[in-house]
This record gives sequence, structure tokens and C-alpha cells, in this order.
Amino acid sequence: MPEIRVTPLGAGQDVGRSCILVSIAGKNVMLDCGMHMGFNDDRRFPDFSYITRNGRLTDFLDCVIISHFHLDHCGALPYFSEMVGYDGPIYMTHPTQAICPILLEDYRKIAVDKKGEANFFTSQMIKDCMKKVVAVHLHQTVQVDDELEIKAYYAGHVLGAAMFQIKVGSESVVYTGDYNMTPDRHLGAAWIDKCRPNLLITESTYATTIRDSKRCRERDFLKKVHEAVEHGGKVLIPVFALGRAQELCILLETFWERMNLKAPIYFSTGLTEKANHYYKLFITWTNQKIRKTFVQRNMFEFKHIKAFDRAFADNPGPMVVFATPGMLHAGQSLQIFRKWAGNEKNMVIMPGYCVQGTVGHKILSGQRKLEMEGRQVLEVKMQVEYMSFSAHADAKGIMQLVGQAEPESVLLVHGEAKKMEFLKQKIEQEFRVNCYMPANGETVTLPTSPSIPVGISLGLLKREMAQGLLPDAKKPRLLHGTLIMKDSNFRLVSSEQALKELGLAEHQLRFTCRVHLHDPRKEQETAMRVYSHLKSVLKDHCVQHLPDGSVTVESILIQAAAHSEDPGTKVLLVSWTYQDEELGSYLTSLLKKGLPQAPS
Amino acid sequence: MRVPGARTRTHTPNWPTRCPGISSLTMDPECSQLLPALCAVLADPRQPMADDTCLEKLLDWFKTITEAGSSLLLLQENPCLVELLCHMLKPQDLSSRVLSFSLRLTGVLAAQEDCFQYLQQGELLPKLFGEAGPLGGAAWTSPAVRSGWIQGLRSLAQHASALHFLAHCGAVDTIFSLQEDSSLFVASAAGQLLVHILGLSMQGPAGGPPSLQAGDWPACAQKIVGHIEESLRATATPQITQALNVLTTTFGHCHNPWTQVLWVQLSPLVAGLLEKDPIPAAHSLVDLLLSVARSPGLSSSSCGLWETLAQTLSHLSPTQAGPLALGILKLQDCPQALRAQAFAVLLQPLACVFKAMAQDPGPSGVPDGTVGGSMTAGVPLPSKAACVGLLCRSLAHLELLLPLPQRPCPWPQAPLLGAAVTLLQLCGGSARPACDMGRHLCTLLLGCVRVQRAALDFLGALSDGTGPRELVTQVFAVLLEYLRSPDSSPTVLKKAFQATFRWLLNSPKTPGCWDLDPHALLFLRDLLPVLQKRLCSPCWEVRDSSLEFLTQMTRHWGGQAGFRHALLASEVPKLTEQLLRDPESYVRASAVTAMGQLSSQGLCVPPAGPEHQGGQQKSLLVELLHILSTDSEGFPRRAVMQVFTQWLRDSHADVAGDTEQFVAGVLQVASQDLDWEVRAQGLELALVFLEQTLGQPRSHCPHAVTPPVEAPVGPLAQALQPLCRVRLFDFAFRALFDCDRPVAQKSCDLLLFLRAQTASSSSLQESRSSPDVASVEAALQRWQAGDQAQPLGDLEPEVVLAVVRSLDLEGLRGALAESSDHVEKSPQSLLQDMLATVGVLGENEADCY
Repeated sequence: MPEIRVTPLGAGQDVGRSCILVSIAGKNVMLDCGMHMGFNDDRRFPDFSYITRNGRLTDFLDCVIISHFHLDHCGALPYFSEMVGYDGPIYMTHPTQAICPILLEDYRKIAVDKKGEANFFTSQMIKDCMKKVVAVHLHQTVQVDDELEIKAYYAGHVLGAAMFQIKVGSESVVYTGDYNMTPDRHLGAAWIDKCRPNLLITESTYATTIRDSKRCRERDFLKKVHEAVEHGGKVLIPVFALGRAQELCILLETFWERMNLKAPIYFSTGLTEKANHYYKLFITWTNQKIRKTFVQRNMFEFKHIKAFDRAFADNPGPMVVFATPGMLHAGQSLQIFRKWAGNEKNMVIMPGYCVQGTVGHKILSGQRKLEMEGRQVLEVKMQVEYMSFSAHADAKGIMQLVGQAEPESVLLVHGEAKKMEFLKQKIEQEFRVNCYMPANGETVTLPTSPSIPVGISLGLLKREMAQGLLPDAKKPRLLHGTLIMKDSNFRLVSSEQALKELGLAEHQLRFTCRVHLHDPRKEQETAMRVYSHLKSVLKDHCVQHLPDGSVTVESILIQAAAHSEDPGTKVLLVSWTYQDEELGSYLTSLLKKGLPQAPS
Repeated sequence: MRVPGARTRTHTPNWPTRCPGISSLTMDPECSQLLPALCAVLADPRQPMADDTCLEKLLDWFKTITEAGSSLLLLQENPCLVELLCHMLKPQDLSSRVLSFSLRLTGVLAAQEDCFQYLQQGELLPKLFGEAGPLGGAAWTSPAVRSGWIQGLRSLAQHASALHFLAHCGAVDTIFSLQEDSSLFVASAAGQLLVHILGLSMQGPAGGPPSLQAGDWPACAQKIVGHIEESLRATATPQITQALNVLTTTFGHCHNPWTQVLWVQLSPLVAGLLEKDPIPAAHSLVDLLLSVARSPGLSSSSCGLWETLAQTLSHLSPTQAGPLALGILKLQDCPQALRAQAFAVLLQPLACVFKAMAQDPGPSGVPDGTVGGSMTAGVPLPSKAACVGLLCRSLAHLELLLPLPQRPCPWPQAPLLGAAVTLLQLCGGSARPACDMGRHLCTLLLGCVRVQRAALDFLGALSDGTGPRELVTQVFAVLLEYLRSPDSSPTVLKKAFQATFRWLLNSPKTPGCWDLDPHALLFLRDLLPVLQKRLCSPCWEVRDSSLEFLTQMTRHWGGQAGFRHALLASEVPKLTEQLLRDPESYVRASAVTAMGQLSSQGLCVPPAGPEHQGGQQKSLLVELLHILSTDSEGFPRRAVMQVFTQWLRDSHADVAGDTEQFVAGVLQVASQDLDWEVRAQGLELALVFLEQTLGQPRSHCPHAVTPPVEAPVGPLAQALQPLCRVRLFDFAFRALFDCDRPVAQKSCDLLLFLRAQTASSSSLQESRSSPDVASVEAALQRWQAGDQAQPLGDLEPEVVLAVVRSLDLEGLRGALAESSDHVEKSPQSLLQDMLATVGVLGENEADCY
């Protein structure tokens, strides 16, 4: 029985390192290859030993697909390809291919900087890994091999994020990665056509949440920054090199312009140019407004945001600084935080989640006295704000996507078990489809009914058309022909054509049946009675009485004979070809009911 | 005023005084104080844990504590732990994560027998791990709980009491059933646990050797073996797979004599699997047989293992037999006939290719139908997917075998070379098959990237051996074909470049001469135009691979006349120079490295005449300095620093002209770089300059003791003058307090090296009290406090030495050796974080990004 199997190695009932194995019609695909930033040993990567036990990775896996550049979706990729030994193709969109190495490199630098990080990939490994990437365009059908094809759809979320349809023959799976169903300041909303996959694997981060408008959060953010700056404070915004940072930069840049603010805004890593470059390069991936206004003014060319110099942190007066890394766990952002933490006028805004073991996590959980090296205590007097700008679909958005794609089944990943449970019930109720939520390591198996494409010969089709029955997709009907299986192809042709093509001689097969009739008359008379009866009943058919005494209806032949033992009984021998199977059966049942009484 | 890290102090206040890791070995009072509150939070189902890593880290900590000390003492000193575990027994809506954690923690604690007994007294263990525990409740539906249950038992099963407990609480039967768990992780862990229990029970109660009669084995062991036997007799493949996996791990981990008895008992059942059609769990069967064959505890000949292996080889499909054949060939001692059979299996797909491509059965060495069995006897390579898979596996297996000393001898180098070339020709479309089967194969393989990649890797690996001249010519021809072909994908091209380099490296050489042989030079003449074209590829991966190839070639043959002539006659150096301005940063970085290499070998020079040499070199230096100062990305800047450091080491002509100016310029730029790796490389360059200036090459180990310079103060001060002039110390002192700790560490090493070199110059003592020293120390103090705005000004050698001596560099080095977030990662910090998160979790706490 053909089936689709899905096993999450990560993101099964958790929000960690996404890595989902899908087996579809004998093809094995890995969806995302993420890393968990909360660990600093091998636990940060998915446990690939469950794949390597199937033999060589490159032989087992047909391809790896990366949905977007966030590290919990691509962070383990260099480890997987350069250290575990996968040497096959990796697919991602063009922007993801461009930005992914920057984030990987950024994280590698932090990992090495922090020290104590074991078994981590090098810069060269990141490059070698990226060379294995095959970049895809949106809505482009990419043939991985003769049977497996993939297609990317716009997912919003971050620049270059895509949902992927994986298709083998008539079986298909759609994996959403992370997506956002509402447009934001720089990206559009996710979209997919009514592709009716066998299975939709969707993220469910906000499975139970209806999120407030992003505009409200943006207003709140701007208000807080503005207030802090107005009061002469310094605002630190720890970010990862690319992604959320650019969205916030646009926000501040526009606000500064509108309000004619003078306080400087700095970006610490020298990445503004690079970000600018990529957003320009991939302008088609941004939202309509940015694309429209691009000709007059490129939103990513910032007038107010300047490159940061380490000495600027000591400058008097207000300022806003975007600094990496985003969780205040090393480097520049942590250094600035230490400098500014003691002043209550200052503010730190955490625009994303922080794992345990970072200063970011500490201050977000409300800790205000932080132990530093040498048992020194840093008193955090500055204001601490958390503003989630993460762009995931909320419960409404997820339901909307399910409605759009019309899948046969749904599978939830990238979320918390309890929230998933709620959404699962909702999906099952509303769409009447099965919904699954496997934990990591659990396999969901879905039986599929394979639909095998069969080519039909033009001749046969024309013959059918000639009978006046026009094809109607909603009304399936019977069509006789000969199925030829040759070179892994299936074709339906007329029997004549099949015989001709295959060089076969025709044999006729006739069905026969004996019907006993109580009739003491002579055989010829009985045949005559049969003829008369059929002639009266089958008005639309050609009923003939042949000179030899037999009766024919189309290809059906009826002969009357005397019964060897009972002279009062006649035996009707009925025979017909397979083409007239229906009529033959009908006639037999008709004759079995007996003939009408002859007029006396 | 003194610098905070001055040596006269006993402790440096700004660096940790605790020994690294000491806090994690015992439970310090702060942690003990926090623990009851944390246990109360864990026991409260209304308090969810936000970060799923916390419980993992908490368990790590408990493991560390119990490995270093008494678990019993830990429980007695922290009764809240037992309370927590008892709490798990109450019927309530507990979080599966906390329950799983508690089961695992119980196992970790009960691993010590006295603690086990302590927990047994309260009957906690049977309640947690028996039917009365989660096993019989709703929580069992969670794979996390089942996994915790298994891991808990795995930790606990360390002693005879534990074994007794397992046998009597019915755990073994539950483990049997968990082997079929819906979770891959749980099923796998259950198998591992069975292996562990089997091994433990066979250790015997007194630790003495167990009986070699299987009938006398302990009841628990007999039960497990009985279960394995039953599974091997089963009809369902998953059951057979589980049994085979358990046996594979057993033979892989345990080499005691009883394993031989076990194999003798089970081998008929294993051999019986071969009689089924299709053979069930073939992959696991192969793993088991190889595990048995590798086990030093088993005498292979007496167990009929070789016969089983031979039988298996002939029964399995070619795809399944490949890994087994490779495994057999890797074995140290194995009958020759079996090796030959195994090798034939590996070669079979290639033999088939030969058969398809030639009228004759192929060059001698590759088995034909007589050895190859059914494949060459007329069964064609089936579908495209199967054919491609088989060929790739075969090539990969042969590639793995190639460097091994136990590879078959004689090694059929020439036929294999021929096969690799043929395959590449088939994929590239240049093969001319003579028969239908060849044409069919051609259709299947044409443009197949998977086979191309595998064949190129294999071809590259074959370069370590020799081959007939005619074949080697064909190798170069097919490589050139691939490098030229517009259809070659970037990954294929990269592999083609790698294989080409390996073949050039191993091409026959004239004795005593390291230059390329005439044939290779002829090839080079064809290759360079191709390289030129590839350097202009629209695909960055191709440009980058081409530059990497050029750098490798230049490094090896840059000094050889033939190579130089060919390269200089081409456009390659000019194109490489243009790629310094490539839009892709990876390519710019590779171009920097390549140009650095070309320049070191004098290959940037246009052939017009030597008069341009200076100007050309000069402009490259300026260009690289420009990249260092302005490139927006780290890779090219780092590449520039590597080139500059190498140039300084090699006394590159352009650098040697005015080394001081060069070093001063580079350090000025590098010290300001936002990328800490560039700053660290700047310090590496500074260190090279320091070594050269002091005339003492550094030991490879930065911390090794080197003999100090026995020099009077005058010359030493003089020797340090250039270092002061290039503002090396300004950079080094500032870097000492860099926010990125590898930079600080590098600077620390540099200054330690300087101090070791100047240790004997005692006459500089009096400088310590000079006002200059005081101002430098004051500046350093401000820098350490985070205020790096103020420059140091001009430093005199005496002041530098005095400051270097006053710094507690060893202390600093010790502190820097720790992870920068070791405080945040400490157990105390973990407990504080877990407590702090209580009640502050927002609705959307799970959004990683």
C-alpha cells in the first residue's frame, strides 16, 4: 500500500530545531535542518543518527529543502553536509541562499567568541555547504530527479521565506516552514494555490492565539523609543544580523523622518550596506508598497541610520543602537548593555525570544541584579522592554491557509503540544480532515491512493466522442479499451490498435448460457416465439430471425434445441461477445422469465 | 595608581576567583538555598517551563554532582528532591516534561546502590517505574514520559540490586513492548536498554564470569534471549529488525566469552532469515553479521560465520549486499575466497557497465559473468533510479576501500580507472556504446549529476595509484571535458577541479624534479583557457571553485618554469585581479587569497617586462589595503589579513621594502575593524612582527617557556622602538580588554611572549614608577571599565615593559580561558533563571524568531 511517512527529528511538538523527514512514494526528503541555540553541545543539532543508520546519507536522502534563513531552520546545515557527510542537493530560495551564510557565519563567530562550544563548523564549511545549494524561484517547478519535483510558494515571515510543495507522481506534501498570513511593513502575506496536497505540514507557533494588529505593536515600539530618546536616554536594540533588524530600521527611519528627530541611530555590525544590498537585490520578495515606492526612494537606503563605532557608546546624549548578537550573550551588544545598564533613562528593547543561559533571558524574566564575572553584580536600572515582532501566522491565519490549500490531511509542527491539540481539534471539526501532531521521533503514516496517469489514444477518444457523449469531469463513465503497459507508461487504446501495435492475432471470446423453456412446440416455432418476444421488447435494437432458425440481437446469438430427455422442454443456447456483456446478461434474465403465452 | 590586574594583588577583582567548573561539581550553598523553591515550582502543574532546555541542563548538573559525590548525601541534604519525586506519584495534571525529568533524575540518583536502597525504602522506585506509576496512567501516552522512563531505568541499572528490581517489577516486559513504540527515539532507547540489562545480568551477582552454558544463565538474561529468539522467528519485519539491532549492539559493545555462546545459540535463527524471500530487515542483518565478525570475543571460524557471510552475500540484492561486501573487505582476517566474493559484489555494477559498453567482457580485473553472477549474465541494470543508486553506492564503497591497507591485492587500478572514465563519458554524453544495452545505459545516465559527482570523487581518489599512459590521457581528457562542458553543474565542476588537482599532483614526475611532466604541461595549456572561462562564470560557486583551484595550483607549482610560463601567457592573473571587486564576498575573499599566492610567487607580473614589477606589486598592496579598510564583509578582510601575515613571514618583496610602514598601516586598520576575527588576525601579524624584531621565533605553543633574550637594556629598548613606532602596543593593550574574548586572549599571548623574551632585562625596574607608566596604567584601567575612547599616545619601550610586567597576564589568561557566558551558564544562574521565569511567561513565549 503506498504511503506517506513523516518523522520530525525536531519541531515535533516543540519550537526548537526544525527538521522533518518525509518519505513520499519512495523518495526521502529532509525539510529544514535547524539548530537549537539553547544548547552548546551536540544537542543543539537534530539527532541525525536516526538517518545514518539507513546507510549513506547521500544515498538515502534525495534532497534537503530549507524554508528560510532563521537558524532554527538552517543552523545545522553545514554540520549536516560537511561534518555528518551529506553530499546531495540542498534547495532554498535565492534570498535564503544569499542570507543564510551571513547568519550562519554570524552565529559561528558568536560561538567561537564565547568559547566552550564543541564540534562547531568553520567558515570554510559554511562556504562549501552553500556551494551545494540549488536556488529556486517562486512558483518554479524544479525537477530534483525524474520523479521528484518541488515548487516554492511565498511565505512572508522573513525575506525569502517559502513554503514548498513536494510532489512525486500524483502524491504531494506541502511544507509551510514559518509563514505569515498578514502583510507587514516590508513583506507580503503568504499565499498558496488550491493544490490539494495529500498532506499539509504547517507550523503552529501561534496555534491558539489571535494576534493583535502589528500596527499596534509598531506604534508601541516607536512610542517607547521616542520617549526614551526625548528624555535623553540611550536605546539598545539587540538583534541578529539580518531579518528583524531591517524591519525595525525601516520603522525607525520613517518615524525619524516624519518627526524630524535628530538623535543618531547606529547599526553596529557594518551590515547595513549588506542588508541594503540584499533587500535591493530581492526587491520582488518585499511587499507591494516597498516595490511601488522603490523607484522614487529605496526604503533600505537609510538616511538616519549610520554605522556604529565602538567609541560612540560613550558619547553623551541620546542615541539608538542596533547591536548583535540578539540575545545579549556575547560581543558588542553585551558590552553596550553593560555600559548603559546602570542608567534608568536608558532602555533595552528585546525584539525576540532569548534562550536560557543568556543575559537577554535574565532581564526578560525580570532579574535586575546580574552577576558578572569576578562575582561583580551589575544592577540593571535601565528600562527593559520585550516586543515580539515575530511574523508567524496566528490561529486564524493557519485556518485560512488550510482552507486555501485544501489538503487531505494536516500535520502540525513547530508549536507546543497543548496549543497544537486545540488547533488540531479545530481543524478536524472545520475541515473534516485528519490532523496529526507527532512528537519528535514519532512517525505518522498516511496511506495514499496512487493515481496512475494513463494516456488515451486519440482514435479511441474520437470514437467515444462520435457516440455523442461529450466528456464531463463531474460525471465519470465507462470506457472500453485495451491497457498497454510499456516502458513504465500506461496507455489506453482501442483493441484494434492494441492488436496492431503488439502484432497479435484476434481471438473472439463469447459468453454462453443455457436457458430452459417449457414449450412442447418444435424448435423452429420456439425460435419464432423468441424472436417475436424480443422484437416487441427490444425496440431500439436490431433483432433478426436468420434463415437457419437462429435469432440475433446485435452480436447475441440465440438458438433453440430440443431437450434430450424431456421433449416438452426446449433449451435456448444464448451466446454473446464481451462488448455486449450488458445486453447479453439482460437478455438471459429476460428469457429466464419465460415467453408470453402465444395466442391460441 | 595600579592597573586592576596588577601582579601584586592576590586576586583580580574583575575576573572569577572560583576555579573553573568547581561550582558544578558540588552543590554550593546558594544552589541549595534555591533548590526547594525550584522543586516546588516543578511540582506545580500551573507553572509551565518556558524553555525546554532548562530541564535538560538541570539534569546535566545533577549528573555532574552525582558523578563527583554521593547521591545519598545529596538527597539527605536536599530533602526537597525526594519530595519532588514523591509528588510525581500524586494523581494530577503534571507536565509530561517535568514527569520525564523526574524519572530521569530518579535513575541518575539511584545509580548509586546506597541511594537506590534509600529510595527503595520509601518504595519510591516501584511506584515510579512500576505499574502504579506513570506506566499505567494517561501520562504514558506522551513519548517524553516513556523516554524518561527508559532513560531513568538505563541510568539506574548499574548494580545487582537494580537488576533484581528490574526483574521483579515487570520492567523487562514493558521494555520488550516499548521496542515497538511509535516513537523512533523510545524504540531505539528500549533496544539499547535491553542490551545494557543483558550485559549487566551476565556480569553475575558476584561479578564472576557467567556460565558458558546458556541454560545456566541468569533468569533475566534467559528471558531477554528468549525474547530475541521469538522475535527472530516472527513473521513481522519490525520485530526481526528490533532483535537484530539488539544483537548488533550487544556484539558491538560486549566482547565477553558468553557472547560466543549467544551467537552459537542464535546463529541458526539468523541464518534462517536468509531462506525467506524477500530477506527481512536486510540492512539490520548486514549490521549484525559485521558486528559479529568484528567482535574480538568471537572465533569466527568455529561459529560458521564465514559461511553465513558468504551465503548472505549471495542471497542479498546487489544494493543490500554492497555495505556487507565493504564491511567484509575491511575485516582484518577473513578467508581469501570470501574477500574475493565480496570484492566481486562491489565491482559488479561497474562490470555491468563494461559489459554494456564493450563487445569484449572488459579489461581483465573487473569480474565478468563468471564472478559477477546474475547481473552480468544478462539482467540489465533495471530502472534509472535503481541503476543510479547502485552505481553511486558501488563507487562510494570502492572509494572508501581505496586508502585502506587491507584493500584487495592486486588492486584492479586500470579497469577501475577505465570504469570511472566510461561512467563519466556516459553521463557527459561522449560515450559511444556499441550495443543496445550500452545505449540503454547511456539514456539512463546522460546528465545524471549524482553519478557524475560519485564518479569524479572516485576518479580523484584513484589518482593515488598509477595507470597506463593511455588511460591517464583519457582521465585528463574526460576531466577537461567536464571542466569545459556548459552542462556541468557547479557541484560537479567543483569536484572536477578537485579531481584534476589530485591527478596533476600525482602525475608522473621526472626523478628529482618537482615540475609537471610534459603531458601534464600540455594538459595545462588546454586547461588554462577553460579556467579563464570559468573565472568569468555568472555563477559565484564556479568562480570561487576556480579561484580555489588556481590557489592550490600556484601553491604547488608556482615556482616551476613550465607552470609559470603557461600561467603568465594566459589571462588568468588579470581575471583574478578583477575578481577582487566581485560582487560576491566569498569570491572576493578567494580572489584575495589567490592574488596573495600569485604575488608571493611573482606571478602577478605582466610578461611585458620586469620594469612594471614594482608598480604592479605596489598596486596590489594598495588594493588589498583598500579591501581591508572598506570591504563591507568579513571574509575578504580576513583573507587580506592572512595574505599580509604570510607576506610578512615570507619577507615578501613589497613588505620588506618598508616593513614598519606596512605593519603600521595594517595594524591601524585592523585594530579598528568591527569583525573580531580581523582584529585577532591583526594581533597575529603583530606577533610575527614582534618575533622578527626580537629575532626570536615563537614556539608553536604560545604558552611554552622560551629562553629570554640575554640582552642589555639599551639594545632591547632599541629593538622595541620599531614596535612602538608602529603603535603595536597601543593595539595590544586595547585588545586586552576587547569585548570579544579571542582577541583579548591573543593579545594576552602576545604580551606574555614579549615578557618572556625580556624577562632578564632587570635594569628597567626603575621605570615602573615613572609618570608615563602611571598614565598608561590609568588608561588601561579606564579601558577595562569600558571607556575606550582615550588613546594612549606615544609609548616608550621602557614604559611598555614596565606595564607588561605589572599586569597579571597569567591571571587574565586563566580568566579568558573560560567561556564568556560561564556565569550565565552556571548552575546557580540556571536555578535563578528557572525561578525568575515563573509567572512572567507571556502568551507568545515560544516564538524563537
